[in-house]
Amino acid sequence: MNRALPEMSHCLNGPGKCTDMTVLERQRARVRWQQSYLGGSDFGGVFLETSQADQVGNFQDLVVGGSSCSVLDDVGTHSVKPDPGLENGWLELGRLELPNMGFGSGGSMNGSPTGLEMNSSISKTSSCPPTEAQSAPEAKDKVSVPAEKMSSAAGRDSSKKRKADKMQNTKVFAEDDAKYKRSKACAEEGESKITTEQARIKNNTSTPTTNNRETSADSSKENSKASEVQKPDYIHVRARRGQATDSHSLAERVRREKISERMKYLQDLVPGCNKITGKAGMLDEIINYVQSLQRQVEFLSMKLAAVNPRLDFNIDDLFAKETVPACSADFPTIGMSSEMTNPAYLQFNPVQQVAACCGFEMGLNSPDMALRRTLSTPVSLPEPYLDASCFTQLQPPPTWDADLQNLLNLEFHQERSISFPYQPFTGSIEASNLKMEI
Amino acid sequence: MRNPSLIKEEFLKRWIIALRRCTSLKKNMNILERNKVVKLSADLAMASARNGTTSWSRALIANATRDNDNRILAEQILGPESEILVKRVSTMPFKTCNRRKIRSKRILKRSCSSAIRRVRKTVPRKVLANCIAKRLIQKRTHILKSLVPGGEFMDETTLMEETLDYIAYLRVQVDVMRSCTYC
Repeated sequence: MNRALPEMSHCLNGPGKCTDMTVLERQRARVRWQQSYLGGSDFGGVFLETSQADQVGNFQDLVVGGSSCSVLDDVGTHSVKPDPGLENGWLELGRLELPNMGFGSGGSMNGSPTGLEMNSSISKTSSCPPTEAQSAPEAKDKVSVPAEKMSSAAGRDSSKKRKADKMQNTKVFAEDDAKYKRSKACAEEGESKITTEQARIKNNTSTPTTNNRETSADSSKENSKASEVQKPDYIHVRARRGQATDSHSLAERVRREKISERMKYLQDLVPGCNKITGKAGMLDEIINYVQSLQRQVEFLSMKLAAVNPRLDFNIDDLFAKETVPACSADFPTIGMSSEMTNPAYLQFNPVQQVAACCGFEMGLNSPDMALRRTLSTPVSLPEPYLDASCFTQLQPPPTWDADLQNLLNLEFHQERSISFPYQPFTGSIEASNLKMEI
Repeated sequence: MRNPSLIKEEFLKRWIIALRRCTSLKKNMNILERNKVVKLSADLAMASARNGTTSWSRALIANATRDNDNRILAEQILGPESEILVKRVSTMPFKTCNRRKIRSKRILKRSCSSAIRRVRKTVPRKVLANCIAKRLIQKRTHILKSLVPGGEFMDETTLMEETLDYIAYLRVQVDVMRSCTYC
């Protein structure tokens, strides 16, 4: 939601010229409010009320516009209570803006109490807040950023019906195309996020359900049935300057932005994706990662099945392992234990994969350099993933310290061995020979 | 995102319970059966932890209960709440209608691609590059759909969400299983 903020700052900074924009923001909020309470859609009303804007009203509009686009609290049926931090953030924003704006003092002073009132009233009608984890830092960000971005001037481009009014405004702000295209993206992302965030909050999890997503997708084309969630029936999207304004391309753009937003989340999740831009490369990385994870699961399950004839796991041990992960002192013991279990593997089952892998483990734990050399060559693609995944695995426990390095090496070797089942088994023969010798 | 350690505990708990149910059912399994049991129980444990909120979990459960040979095992694993879960999964109407959509989409794609091939010789380079990029993305999306359970029937946005969730689940599974092998 940080990206929604530049849009706010743009709105707030256009001194008399952004009347239309602020009015639109206000209308948006009003329409939503109307819909939720009256159950009717009144698009015509949005555009008819443009003439009502005035200078004094600007502040309320600005603040209201900000709040309506924000993710403040909802209509009564929502199960999640409003995020007080966020609301306070917005109220503070309203107060912040007024002294900085430098408008006529009378107007500004008048603006403040009514602005706050409108804030609270609109806050009831706008959409749901994001999850608690995200909202607090976002609120802080929203408050801090507009103070920095005071100087940028921005108008708003118009939708089809209001181009005539806009011509004079757009001349002034022609140079800010890039800026408010970006802020448009923020607005739309904000809005599409709003609907998805609502869906998220509705289910009290951080991932939205498919049901709600489907309804929010449908709602871009038509009014959704008033389901258990009382959210706006459609996504407000505004056309960018210089782009097509028909509903298909708008919806397409919303969809594309949703996808790119999710791609960003995936970038954080999949290791090694920070440098890759572009959908195709990202998809490739994701596919590789999912495949490697699935292979790991396969191998681990095979290993578990091999080790435990009776499939009984000692729960206490498991929990102990989780809470107090192995530390430095365990490094030799881990090596030892895997050596101990290796003979069990080799004798116990005829499965070549497991034997080979255990042979690898054995080889890696032993200081045999020749073996390591042969083993190191087949390592190719899965390495970066294994590195990263072992790092991510090791990150959470805070109790590890200096001997992390040893453990990381061990983990790395373990992981390498895990990926080996699908590699040619040339090294395995040497490993098992070595094993036999020892 | 959710707290990973919470997910881990949840998964571990369910998995252990599921494994115990399986072993009580049938002792002295050979290694292949055990492998299957381990995998199946892990999958179903995590899927039931999601409780039908995500599409891939529903697809996993649906797939598991569809094959007759696995069905009994799966139902044993899921335990007493299996009936409710299976019912919920089966009532999600996503497969049949989407199959028709997918078939029609494929026909459309085939006809379009043949048209594109004809046009390809005369188009400028930029458009060509665009087409190639699009094809790449389409192919990769198709592969991803085949990887994520239940992914065939989703649109792209949903697919991304499901992939996120599925990746998180896979990581948890790998972590838990690895720590199991150490004890």
